[in-house]
Amino acid sequence: MSAHSSHLGREVRVAWAIAVKDMLTYYTRPPSLMFGILFPFSLFLSFSIGRSAPIATQIPILIAQTLFFASSSIGPVVIPSERANQTFDRFLTSPVSLLSVLMGKTLAGVVFGIGISIIPILIGLAFFGSQIANVGALFACMALSSLGFSAMGIMFASIPGQSPGQVMMPLNFVRIPLLFISGVYTPVGELPSWGQIGSMLSPLTHTIELARYALGGETFFGPAVNISVLAFYTALFLFMGIRFHIMNQRKE
Amino acid sequence: METEHAIEVSNLTKRYGDLIAVDHINFNVRKGEVFGFLGPNGAGKTTTIRMLTGISTPAEGTATISGFDIRRQPIEAKEQMGIVPDISNVYNELSAWDNLTFTGKLYDMPKEFRESRAEELLKMFGLYERRSEKVQGFSRGMKRRICIAMALMNRASIIFLDEPTSGLDVQSVLIIRDLIRKLNQEGLTIFITTHNIEEASQMCDRVAIINRGKIAAIDTPEKLKRTVESLQSVEVAFETTPQDALKALKGLPKVNEAVKEGDKFRLFTDDPASVLASTWDYAQSNKLKLITVNTLGPSLEDVFVKLTGIRPATEGGEGGGRMGGGRGQGQGQGMRQRRGS
Repeated sequence: MSAHSSHLGREVRVAWAIAVKDMLTYYTRPPSLMFGILFPFSLFLSFSIGRSAPIATQIPILIAQTLFFASSSIGPVVIPSERANQTFDRFLTSPVSLLSVLMGKTLAGVVFGIGISIIPILIGLAFFGSQIANVGALFACMALSSLGFSAMGIMFASIPGQSPGQVMMPLNFVRIPLLFISGVYTPVGELPSWGQIGSMLSPLTHTIELARYALGGETFFGPAVNISVLAFYTALFLFMGIRFHIMNQRKE
Repeated sequence: METEHAIEVSNLTKRYGDLIAVDHINFNVRKGEVFGFLGPNGAGKTTTIRMLTGISTPAEGTATISGFDIRRQPIEAKEQMGIVPDISNVYNELSAWDNLTFTGKLYDMPKEFRESRAEELLKMFGLYERRSEKVQGFSRGMKRRICIAMALMNRASIIFLDEPTSGLDVQSVLIIRDLIRKLNQEGLTIFITTHNIEEASQMCDRVAIINRGKIAAIDTPEKLKRTVESLQSVEVAFETTPQDALKALKGLPKVNEAVKEGDKFRLFTDDPASVLASTWDYAQSNKLKLITVNTLGPSLEDVFVKLTGIRPATEGGEGGGRMGGGRGQGQGQGMRQRRGS
């Protein structure tokens, strides 16, 4: 079988197979729907209803929130569930690296995040006069953010636990406070200087800013900083996630 | 890579904090052998199998699978094996067909190979007609069969089975035992962990007994039984049993130990002929009618009990009882070696 392909090609095919299996198995699970779809849309509605600002200016916030919540929810749903019924062990006993397994899981989060965040884009374009001013920025926003947030979910899923709730709880302790410093409720420019520093350090800020820039709005930090920070966090979350899962396996 | 042994284990060790779960164990499994790994709960059976299959990492030592080192060549080692864990870890949301083909994808089998193999295995396991149904509706025995089929997808040369018949009904147990024999006849090496001693005695070419993380003995079941000839016994039952029968029987000449087992007594001895005579005398003098008399050789369970030192909980031991699969549990033949009645 090893003659069938190069090692790298094999790892990519297996990672994709794992991602497709996760999509078929976990996308319609209640925790995925609740934390990935219901949560960001509900938060957005509770924030935007009654505001005087035009909806079109708020669409980037909804895009960012759906990317943030949807992408980061798949790992914490999939991995504890697979630990509970020992199907995660199947990957560990298969002739494939742990890296490829986690890449497959990350990819499932990426596709989920992009798929859900396309909904507000289409709603904005169809009903609220939004226009895509910079396709490249939109692509960078969706690709980097979904990958980074999905990797963040995988990193949190290294917390030993056999139910999604055991991972979602600590993850939400991080996700929800980030909403307050990322320019969702208060524009970054109106935050005090310490708030702006905090905002600079939050990856969600840069997703919102890039989405806003892609739809023709203004940004505080600029797209180059946004992309750089998102790329940094993506690399960090991927690296830390893999390290934590390797540490878990050693403890097994 | 040609090697005489399918599995070679060298100083394999696993620690959890201060606890040494598996303590520098060494053993080999020959190619084409059915090898049983016996031990009470918590002895280190599953920890060993988890290290051999790559789920957990050894603290010290290593093992080779068909010559491939599990630490230095994990991918190659994993290509040689199929694993059936102690619970049927199938994907309940997927169909039987999808479970098998997904397993094929994990081994990077080309589409036509994995589909023909999935069809072959589902037919072999009598599940082809139900291939499109989600596995969550399957019985426990059917899930077990799917799980074994998944382990066979990659045409592995070594199959690890962790408690393969645990918790199954008698029919499923017989189907799976028959299947294991057939797979072995086809040349597969089978590594079984079990606490079912009768199953190990019936199926295994050799067994290793592990206790508290250390290998207590490795040999064929029959040779192991011969090591404890002092555990020969005479089994007797009376039509009516006096209150003090156990005490009286313990006091008979040449009886090393007497235990009550249901409505029978088992008298352990080095000299069954003398005990038979003294038991007859005891029955005559107390006007008791003997309804059962058997002489029994030592069983693998006796070997196990002697080596591990576990005792039934009622005797104040730590083990909480003997291991499963014995006489009276409806699985297979009698547990002990009957020599005559």
